[in-house]
Amino acid sequence: MDRLISHEVLDDGALHRITLRDDTRRNALSQAMFDDLDAALAAVTTAVARRQAASCVLLSATGRAFCSGFDLGACVADPSMMGSFLQRLSAAVRCLRSLPCPVVAAVQGPALAGGCALVTACDVVIAGPAARFAYPVHRIGLSPAISLPTLRGHTGGGARTVALEPEPLDAAAARAQGLVHEIVDDPTALDARALAVSRQLLSKGPQAMASIKRWMNAHDGSCDLAALDATLAASVATGSSDESSAMLAATWAAMQKPR
Amino acid sequence: MSTLVSLDITDGIARVCMRRPEARNALSRDLITQLRSTIEALQSRADVRVVILEGDGKSFCAGMDLKAVATDPVAMGDMLRALAETSLAIRKLPIPTIAKVQGAAIGGGCGLMVVCDFGVTHPEAKVGYPEVDLGICPAVVAPWLVKKIGAGPARAMLLLGGTMSGAEGYAKGIASHCVPLDQLESATMALATGLAKGGPLAIRETKRWLSVLDGSNDDAAIREAAEISARIIQGGEAQERLAKLWRS
Repeated sequence: MDRLISHEVLDDGALHRITLRDDTRRNALSQAMFDDLDAALAAVTTAVARRQAASCVLLSATGRAFCSGFDLGACVADPSMMGSFLQRLSAAVRCLRSLPCPVVAAVQGPALAGGCALVTACDVVIAGPAARFAYPVHRIGLSPAISLPTLRGHTGGGARTVALEPEPLDAAAARAQGLVHEIVDDPTALDARALAVSRQLLSKGPQAMASIKRWMNAHDGSCDLAALDATLAASVATGSSDESSAMLAATWAAMQKPR
Repeated sequence: MSTLVSLDITDGIARVCMRRPEARNALSRDLITQLRSTIEALQSRADVRVVILEGDGKSFCAGMDLKAVATDPVAMGDMLRALAETSLAIRKLPIPTIAKVQGAAIGGGCGLMVVCDFGVTHPEAKVGYPEVDLGICPAVVAPWLVKKIGAGPARAMLLLGGTMSGAEGYAKGIASHCVPLDQLESATMALATGLAKGGPLAIRETKRWLSVLDGSNDDAAIREAAEISARIIQGGEAQERLAKLWRS
C-alpha cells in the first residue's frame, strides 16, 4: 500500500519535509495515517538528535484539505478508537513541540479539529488563501481540551474564541488571533515560501534555536506535561461519553447522506 | 424594585437584557444586583446552552452609574464589588457567553463584554476603558482584559484610557466579531445557534480547561481588585474629577 505520508530529507539531511497525502479522505487522521505519522516523527526525532548541525521540519499536505481531523468512520465502527486517536494525536503534538529544532507548517486547506491541533504544535504557521482553522468537535460531543495548551501558546486569550467558535476561521482571522504568522496569497507560491522560511530557520545557530524553543515552551506552558496529560484526559472523557456516542452517530449518519 | 434585567429562554438560548435604556443601561446598584442574580440563576439551568448578554435601546452599557451615588463613596465601593461578583458569575457559566454590543460599551460595560467568551459589535460602536481619565482605577476589569488580549496590549489600553471604535476594538481583540449594525442581531443569533449545537458536556469541559489555563478561577484576585478600585474611588482625586465631570 502506498504510504499516506511522505518523509523527504532535503538539504543534506537538514530539512525534513513531512507531507500528508491522502486526498481521498481529506488527509483524515486514520489508523494508517497515524501509523505513517508515528514512523515519520520517530525517524525525524532520531535524525535531529544525531545531527550536529541545524535541522528544520516542514509539515505540509497535498489535496483539498490540510487535515480534516479524525477518521470518524473508524470511531463509529469501533468506540474505543476515539480514545486511541486522542492518545496518538497527543503523542504527535508532544513530539513536534519538544523537537529541539523549529517546525514549520504550510497550511494549504482546512485544518480541522485534530488537524488544527497538529498545526498548533508547530512553531511557525504559513497559510495559503484556502486555509481554514476550526475545532468543530463540540458537535460530536468532544472537547478540544487536548489542543488548548498549544493553541494558547499561539493565541493567548484568543484560544477561548478559537476553541468555541463553531465556524471555521479563514487565514486572515487566524492571523489576527496569532495562530497564523504569514499568509501567502498565491496558493501556488505557498510551497516555495514555506521552504524559504524553513531554510531561513536553518541558517540560525542550532543550539540557540533549541534553547529558545525549550525556553518558549516553558514560558507559554505549551509543553507542560501535566497540563497536556490533564487536557488529554478531559478530551478522552468527553469522547467516551454517551453524549459523544450519540452525537457522533448522528453526525456520521448525516455525513453519509448523498448531497 | 422595577425589572432592570429581563431573561428570555428560547430554544436553549438565554437572552439576558439590561433594561435601563434611558440611561444607556448604566450599571446602577439595582441593575447590577439584578444582573448578578440573573446570571447566577443560570449556572444550574440544564436547558440553557448559550447566554447572550445585551442592552435595551441604543447602547449596550455606558458603564457604572456613579452619578446616582455621587454623595455616597461607600455605595460606589459596593457597586464595584457587585461588578466583580457579576464578572466572576459570567466567567463561571459552563456554557458559552456572547455580549451583543451596540452603541456604547464603556468602562464596566466594556468589562462585561470582555469577560464574555465572545463580543459581537459593529464598526461605529464606542468601546473602551476611560476610567483613568476620571481618576478611577479599572482594576476589576483589568484581569479579564489581560486574559483576553495579553498583558502588553492591556497595559497600554488601560493606561491610555479613552475610548475607541468598535472596529478598533475588534482589531485589538476585545471584540471577537464586528459586523454592520443592521446585521448585529442576525450575526449574534447565528453564532448562538451554532454554539447551541455543541454537546453540553464537551462545552463544559472546554470552558473548564480554558479557565484553568488562563487563570480565570482566581476569585481572590478579582475580589482584591474590587477593594483596590473601591479605595481609589473613595479618594480625593477620583471624587474631585467625578464632581467636575458632573458639574460640566
